[in-house]
Formats: sequence, C-alpha cells, structure tokens
Amino acid sequence: MALSPPPLRIPLPLPGFESVQRGWHNSFETIAARLLPGEYFVTLRDEAIYTTLGSCISACIRDRVSGIGGMNHFMLPISSSTNSWKASDSSASTRYGNFAMEHLINDILKNGGKRQNLEAKIFGGGRIIANMTDVGMRNIAFARDYLQTEGLQVASEDVGDAFPRLVVYYPASGRVRVKRLRSLHNNIIAEQETRYLSTIAEKPVSGEIELF
Amino acid sequence: MKHTIDELLHGVNGLVTLPVVFVRINQLLENPNSSTEDIARAINLDPAFTVRLLGVANSTFYGFAATVDTAEKAVSIIGTRQIANLALSTAIASSFSKLPNKLVSMAHFWQHSLYCALAARKLARLCGIKEADALFTAGLLHDIGELVIFNRLPQEATEALLLVQGSADELAMYQAEQLTLGFDHAQVGAALARHWKLPPVLQDCISFHHEIHAAKQHPREVALVHIANILAQMAEIKTLDLADVGAVDPAAWELAGLAASDVVTQVVTEIQSEFVETEKLFFAKDTVS
Repeated sequence: MALSPPPLRIPLPLPGFESVQRGWHNSFETIAARLLPGEYFVTLRDEAIYTTLGSCISACIRDRVSGIGGMNHFMLPISSSTNSWKASDSSASTRYGNFAMEHLINDILKNGGKRQNLEAKIFGGGRIIANMTDVGMRNIAFARDYLQTEGLQVASEDVGDAFPRLVVYYPASGRVRVKRLRSLHNNIIAEQETRYLSTIAEKPVSGEIELF
Repeated sequence: MKHTIDELLHGVNGLVTLPVVFVRINQLLENPNSSTEDIARAINLDPAFTVRLLGVANSTFYGFAATVDTAEKAVSIIGTRQIANLALSTAIASSFSKLPNKLVSMAHFWQHSLYCALAARKLARLCGIKEADALFTAGLLHDIGELVIFNRLPQEATEALLLVQGSADELAMYQAEQLTLGFDHAQVGAALARHWKLPPVLQDCISFHHEIHAAKQHPREVALVHIANILAQMAEIKTLDLADVGAVDPAAWELAGLAASDVVTQVVTEIQSEFVETEKLFFAKDTVS
C-alpha cells in the first residue's frame, strides 16, 4: 500500500483558527486539527479534526455538497439559577451552548456552506464519573434541541453511556470514526473538563452573535 | 529523575500484603505431609474468607449440584490449588485498598480486572485447560503493577495517560509508560509477583500479557490472558467489534488454539451478563470481621 507522504509544509488554516493545534497525523495519514474543550475548527480542505470527549459534546457539521465543515467541543456551564437545557431558554448556560453552536454554523456559512445542505452529527455526553449529576445528558439534550430548533437533522450520533470517546471527523467526506475509550482515561478527561468548566463559569457570554 | 522498580516496590512494602490465609494454604501445599483437613482448618481460621469461599462455592460461578456448607467440603470439591487461588482473588481488592490514587477509580480498575478474569477463565475452559481458576486469578491480577505506579508515581503516570490521549489512542498505556518511566506496569506487577513468590503461572501472565513472545514457561496461559485483556476492554466499552479495541497479537490465537470468529462474541456477551453477580461474590465488603 502506497502511503502518501506528509506534505513539506502544512497549509494555513482559515483565518481565526491559527491557535488550534494542527499538524500531520501519521495514523490518520492526513493533516489533523486537535480540539481542546471550548475550541472549534472549520475547514475547506480534506483534512481531519479530532478530539476526546467525556461529558462534553461535539457537533460535526458540514455542507454535504461542498464538503465545507467543522466541529466544536463544548459543554453547558452549570447554572446556579436554572437547570435548563432548552436552546430557546435564555439562561446563562444555554447562551454559552448557543454561542458554541452558532460560531460553528456561522463560520461554515461564511466560508461558502449553504444552510439547506447542512448535515449534523453529535457525539459525547458520557457519564464518566459515578455519583455525579448527569451533566452529559444535559449536554446531549441541549445539542439535540438546538439542532431541531435550527431545522437540522441529526444524521448520526453516538452519545451518552459511561465511557469517554475519541472522535475523528473528516468534513470533506462526512466520515466519522468514534473510538470509545477505556475507563482508565475517565479521571484525567474529567479533570480536563472540570478545568474548562471553571473557565467558562467565570466568563459570562457577552456580545451579540451575527446570524446569517 | 528516573525511578527504579525496586524503589517502587520498597515504597509499597508493608502497605500491600498478601492475605494471610493464602500464605498459610500455600505453605501447606508445599508441605507433603499436610492433609486436606489441615487446609480446611487454615481456612476456618479466617471467618471472612470462609464466608466468601462458601458463597462462591454455592454460586453459579461453579454451579455445583450439591450444597457446599463447610470448608472441608469446599476443599474436596474445588481442590486445594484452586482454593489458594480463591483466597488470593477474594482478598486482592482489600490488599490494594491501601494504595489509593487519583488517576483511576478503584471501581473502574477492578471492573476491568474482573472482566479480564472472567474472560480468561472462560477461554481456558474453551481450550480445555483443567485448572481454569488459575486463569481467573491471573486475569484479576494482570494489571496490579498499574496501581503501584499510579500511587507512587502519579506525575509520570499522568504524563503517560496524556501521551495515550494525544496519540489519539494509537499508543498503548504500557508503551506510554515505557516512554515516561522507562518501564511499564507489567514489569512492576511481575516484580511484585516475584517478591510474593506467587505461582509461576501467575508471574508469567502478569509479566508478559503485553509481550506474549517472551513467555517461555506458560505461553498458552499468557496468550489467554493477553486475549482476555482485549475482550475485557470490549465488554467495558460495550462493543462486539475487535476493531474498536487494541490489537490481539495473532500468535495468541494460535497458542490458544482458538479462532477469534468462534469465541469473541460468545465470551464478551457472557462475561457482561456474569459481571454483576461475580462482582458481589468477590468484591462485596466483608460482613464478617
């Protein structure tokens, strides 16, 4: 089998995504962007985007005709006032979720994606720590509700249950590889997500989002 | 700073000890003059173990037709070697409870170990090994080195876990440990097993479950634990597709004389349905003190 050699130079990402860690990935045999909690990435190229999810959720969205697409990685902050997850509610926590989803969708549309061609897949929302409220379920419920409100069909999903997931997404083809991870990794992923949660709890979402 | 395996073991010495009843039974087994009655007496000295032993003996774990109501009966039906294994298996979780760590919950750790134990025993029966219970114990113990590393060297262990995550799960944990520590959990477990003078078959399975080619004395048993480890991962993440988990060394299937296509689905499904009951038998908190 002929392996395509890694390119000498990694082409630049779309403006605004320079901070996302990205490089040649030997096992994927392509350029891949690695998302950390709170990040998102949109590309026009035939490359991969991957991330590790515990109770966080990732939406993978693309224009199925042009192949422009991307992925986000987020969770709803724990809101002290309400426990709501409906996208239409305007609590601080769902505003953060709306923000994460709209950023991804708007950047796809801004770069030439057509709303009527969008295809969405969702992953994550695992319950990886026992004896904790099921924050994963809340994130799943939010993502489904958001997509339904936006009129986007969920083409496929692998959500919930008790394990973390590694998700590799190829927007150009729409292919997704989900690898469920062993419980050996639960605590370290939970710790990363807790750290992320503390950063978004401190930073209220402000500013209007421009809708296309 | 590099650490050595000896240093690690020195650090846990005294914290992790073998169950006394296991040590006594083993001494008796080595003594040609001892009788089944002597072994039963040694068991009766440990009421908590006696209760567990009878619980296991009367459960579907064995599925005996007759009621086993005394230690004497248990020894004669189950066999002396197997009783020693049971003594080790039922006490191992409490032996290691003095080595807590923040990286993996004990519940998750023993979940994987118990799946592996159930799978190893089942595979052993499928390929006609008489003392299948030894494989159960081997499965239960195969990763004990991990608990030592996580407790003593959390920093390096964290780095190893992050390496595995960063590699998109392409790197196995034992390979990541070799990179951050210079040795892996199989080597640490092996050193502990040697120190404890565990039966050679257990030592081999713990030492070589990631590199089965190195096993000279008990290659077949090692191959079974190697396969069981992977099937346990499948049970954990609820998949029946071998492609979803780490690779089984093809040589393991040859050594076992089993074909993946014949046994994987059956074994994974069965260990999932046996898990809850076996967990109660082996991991329930002692009711007798």
